[in-house]
Amino acid sequence: MAPFKRILIANRGEIAVRVIRACREMAIESVAVYSDADAKSLHVMLADAAVHIGAAAPAASYLSIDAIIQAAQSSGADAIHPGYGFLSENQDFAAACAANSITFIGPPADVIATMGSKVAARELARKAGAPVVPGETPREQTDAAIADAARHVGFPVLLKPSEGGGGIGMKAVRNDSELLSAIGQARREALVAFGDGTLYIERLIDSPRHVEFQILADAHGHIVHLFERECSIQRRHQKVIEETPSTAVTPALRRRMGDAAVAVARAAGYRNAGTIEFLLEGRGDQASFYFLEMNTRLQVEHPITEQVVGVDLVAAQIRVAAGEPVPWIQSELSQRGHAIELRIYAEDPARGYLPQAGLLALYREPRLPGIRIDSGFVEGDEVSVHYDPLIAKLIASGETREAARHRAIAALESFPILGIRTNVGLLLELLQHPRFVSGAIDTRFLDAEAEALRARLITEPPPEALAVAAAVSDTPSSIANDPWSALRDLRL
Amino acid sequence: MVGAAGPAAVKITPLGDGRYEVATDAGRTIAYGARRGGQTWVFLRGRVYVVEGNDNQSRRARHHDETAMSAPMPATVVAINVTPGQAVKAGDVLVVLEAMKMELAVTAPQDGRIRDITCRVGELVQPDVPLVAFDEPESSNESR
Repeated sequence: MAPFKRILIANRGEIAVRVIRACREMAIESVAVYSDADAKSLHVMLADAAVHIGAAAPAASYLSIDAIIQAAQSSGADAIHPGYGFLSENQDFAAACAANSITFIGPPADVIATMGSKVAARELARKAGAPVVPGETPREQTDAAIADAARHVGFPVLLKPSEGGGGIGMKAVRNDSELLSAIGQARREALVAFGDGTLYIERLIDSPRHVEFQILADAHGHIVHLFERECSIQRRHQKVIEETPSTAVTPALRRRMGDAAVAVARAAGYRNAGTIEFLLEGRGDQASFYFLEMNTRLQVEHPITEQVVGVDLVAAQIRVAAGEPVPWIQSELSQRGHAIELRIYAEDPARGYLPQAGLLALYREPRLPGIRIDSGFVEGDEVSVHYDPLIAKLIASGETREAARHRAIAALESFPILGIRTNVGLLLELLQHPRFVSGAIDTRFLDAEAEALRARLITEPPPEALAVAAAVSDTPSSIANDPWSALRDLRL
Repeated sequence: MVGAAGPAAVKITPLGDGRYEVATDAGRTIAYGARRGGQTWVFLRGRVYVVEGNDNQSRRARHHDETAMSAPMPATVVAINVTPGQAVKAGDVLVVLEAMKMELAVTAPQDGRIRDITCRVGELVQPDVPLVAFDEPESSNESR
């Protein structure tokens, strides 16, 4: 019997598509929600039903608790999956679901509140026995008080939105002279993104790796971890490439980190899927790790865990939300092979990662062995200025890291996206960079290499590309729209 | 069509639906092409090349890179750091925009004086629409 009758997905883009597909496999009806900008989006087309919830601006639609609760009631949904971003880590939303007898597919509201507060989460992790990075949230949030706290914690520091996540609004400050302008900018970005400008100041551990552990907990006290994901390839604290296993994690270190992750989840009274993020200093058995934060939701990069552990995390989320036990026991779980996820963003790495919006004039996903594409777009769709610039996630799996890496390169080389600039060229350069190839990466790697990589991205078109361009210009539209071309894959 | 490019000849065969076979002495591959506005986009061996056309739209795009006094894309104004009459130095942040969850700074292209502010905080602004009117140092007293 299906755990729910009808699930509303309070999100858009690739993650809404991912959850809708899980619902379909489980014989659960899916309800999409959409803003003015998304009326014709893929997630709306795929769901069994769709409800319009407001204007394009996120505050008027995907961040509107009232609009989404109303949509759930009018469509008869008995559960809501929040995806990631938007309301996924909003305790008021989780509480509103509970108050309206709708199951929130995620942890209880009070757990979101605790783990969403960097101070409370850190304190909880410390008490649970997980090491933490020095840092504080000044009680007074004046520029002067924040500056004092930064000096007290000791440079270099990170300014982080206290209510934040996903790297949004985080600023690294290396000395006093950069401090005041960084405080203003971090506060503004925190206000825009999370509606709260409170800042948390943390010691910046130079050149660490970002290694996180996936956990799943049920309402019966069972908690398992599903091993690590290494997410060190980041630009401005936004993840770009993730992989599992990590090249820095040995079996003994994996056990220590996994035990710490489960201990934190248990101390939090956690339920459903969550991720414990650690900073890792060094590699191997002697490495030190620090609890960074907990993401109380499904992660963007969950597919690499699914590929290597051989599980369906979204289906598991839905089952434990309905009161079923965690479908696995720890000793049954193991990692097999390697998976790498590439985030394909509508942005121009050659111009400071400037976000790009516009029409996907040509968009053809590759079909190759060991390649999974999670995307919310099809050819002809518009990438909107209103939302995050993620177009697709390309997940390459193989028996070894090298096999997965080669498959990732081959897949990017057969993934044409035209009409919007993307970071595909940068991803190709990264996959072939000697440091990525050897696995000697850290969270500063991409920003440190940015200049050199940028130079490699700006290349004059070779003669073949100019010849193709001339052929495109010469092509009458009747050829491009030739109905017989649509039959090219058929054998007549 | 056949294009002569240096010693190696390139033969392009349209396959329909934006696909093109590219054959050279070195081998052959499939490329993709699409026209968008005044630009032709080409995908070849994992790389995208944008070949500018000659119409107004591409000239406007080039013009934008030179001045940078307008939004590079549709964006919301989150802060205006200057007032009319204020003297600014090249690189000073005049206006802060927000788009796709990121802040973008609009900076002064050179030293000068702010003549007028033509946007409001909270306003959604479009590309190529000036946000700030700007006088270069000597030009304010001279007509030209």
